[in-house]
Amino acid sequence: MKPQSTEEAVKYYKHLSLFWTDLIHLMSSKPQALTSTGPMRAFATNSKKVATELIEINESLLGFNKFQTEYYKQFAETWSEAQKKVNLKYPEIPQDVEQIEVFKRIWIDIFDNDFTELFDSKRFGENYGKLVSKELDLTKHWNNITNVILQSVNLPSKEEIDEVYKELHILKKRITKLEIESKKKKMVERNEK
Amino acid sequence: MKSENAIDPKIIEEIIKFNKNVIEAPELVPAPDEIVLEETPHDVALEIDKTRLLHYKPLTDKQHKTPLLIAYALINRYSILDLQPDKSWVRNLVQQGFDVYMLDWGTPTAMDKYLDFDDYINGYLDGAVEFIKNESSVEKISLQGYCTGATLATAYITLHPESVKNYIATAPVIDGWRDTTVISNLAKHMDVDKMVDTVGNMPPEFMYYCFSVLKPFEQGLEKYVKFFKNIDNKKFVDNFLRVEKWLSDTPPIPGELFKQWIKDIYQDNLLIQNKMYVNNRHIDLKKINMPIFTQVAVGDHLVSPECSMPLHYAVASEDKTLRMYPTGHVGMIASSLSQKKVLPELGKWLLERS
Repeated sequence: MKPQSTEEAVKYYKHLSLFWTDLIHLMSSKPQALTSTGPMRAFATNSKKVATELIEINESLLGFNKFQTEYYKQFAETWSEAQKKVNLKYPEIPQDVEQIEVFKRIWIDIFDNDFTELFDSKRFGENYGKLVSKELDLTKHWNNITNVILQSVNLPSKEEIDEVYKELHILKKRITKLEIESKKKKMVERNEK
Repeated sequence: MKSENAIDPKIIEEIIKFNKNVIEAPELVPAPDEIVLEETPHDVALEIDKTRLLHYKPLTDKQHKTPLLIAYALINRYSILDLQPDKSWVRNLVQQGFDVYMLDWGTPTAMDKYLDFDDYINGYLDGAVEFIKNESSVEKISLQGYCTGATLATAYITLHPESVKNYIATAPVIDGWRDTTVISNLAKHMDVDKMVDTVGNMPPEFMYYCFSVLKPFEQGLEKYVKFFKNIDNKKFVDNFLRVEKWLSDTPPIPGELFKQWIKDIYQDNLLIQNKMYVNNRHIDLKKINMPIFTQVAVGDHLVSPECSMPLHYAVASEDKTLRMYPTGHVGMIASSLSQKKVLPELGKWLLERS
């Protein structure tokens, strides 16, 4: 069945890529295990993960491009509107230093006002939020690929390091709490004496 | 025959002069990195993790009894309050006879991503307050919070009102929904969970983006044109480079703290509604009953007056003062106006209560 929309096309090709990635991985896993030796063994075993991430990156990239196009479109529209306002307010080409200064002031004020209005709008805020979100999706995929490489050389992944940080944070808090309690206890003992 | 489109010779003169200034600039002024800030003399009185408590040396024979602790913002560095002697917030207060401490939050690294409001309020801020109380043998101190530092300080005084005698909130971030700045618009639409989950701490690059949307043409272009035009004006150039150096040095913000700040202040606006919790403890603004002085800048495009002023009306204090100044966010703390008007008024208010 032929995909009817862009969304369907993305889904179709994603499925197609994942199907073949999975199947090739299954078919090649035994010969791969037999032939991979040395430090690259882990990487070869996990290479399917890299392929999967690369497929998903395409989907995120599509969304990123969409919001990025809208981002620059909003910039271009605002620029064009602001320039029209400047032309209306100051239609002549400035001829001397004083006129240039006046023109520059008008240009900056109008452009700053119009762009501030844009940055303040719901339309901009929503699109920018989605753009950053897609950018973070791309970063996440890249993190996942890096984790495969890190694991192949027996280095901890981001998640594993995060776990250590979290544990350290909890321990620090517990120590601080114990220190405060011990201080209070000592003060009470001192007062009782 | 005279052409109608003849270029004014003054324009050529201006262009040549501007080019000359650009070429000569490196010989006339230092690079921002080469500038050494003339900070008011101080000791590091206490260090907790990466935070430092600075204690400023007295510049008067007699000092007022109640010490003052300044909780600086989470964005950029505390140095804006002590950038140069003639515009220094700290030096002015020390010269007025106050015993001043400053909390420098330091530079969080990846391993600090789990630090949250609780760590900052009940850990670092409370640790500093307890230390000062011990050192000065007083039961209460005066506390000043600036910008996001005032958000932390406000939450702190609701939980520890017994330790604070007077509270000064300078451009506090309080009511996120009323904030009319472009920063609040970006914050309201941010997927902060995904950001912290993916990148950990709030990266400085994001803050630089926020700065770039504030008057992009005046601040991004014209400011530098003015700099080169005034390259011979030592005072102007010196001030410009110090502020630029400060602007370009912002530390990351710990992920969990950033998440709670964006959600509780800008997205859900819990603080002003008395619905905020820090480590299961209720932040109730009605518990604030000590004398409070709220300072607001009318032209503040980082924290709008509408965002700061609700604090004045939300607290239970009977002794409360609200002052509005015709300046901006930085102008309120590091300008001639702050030296001539803001600080003398603050000093008078504080002296009557210290």
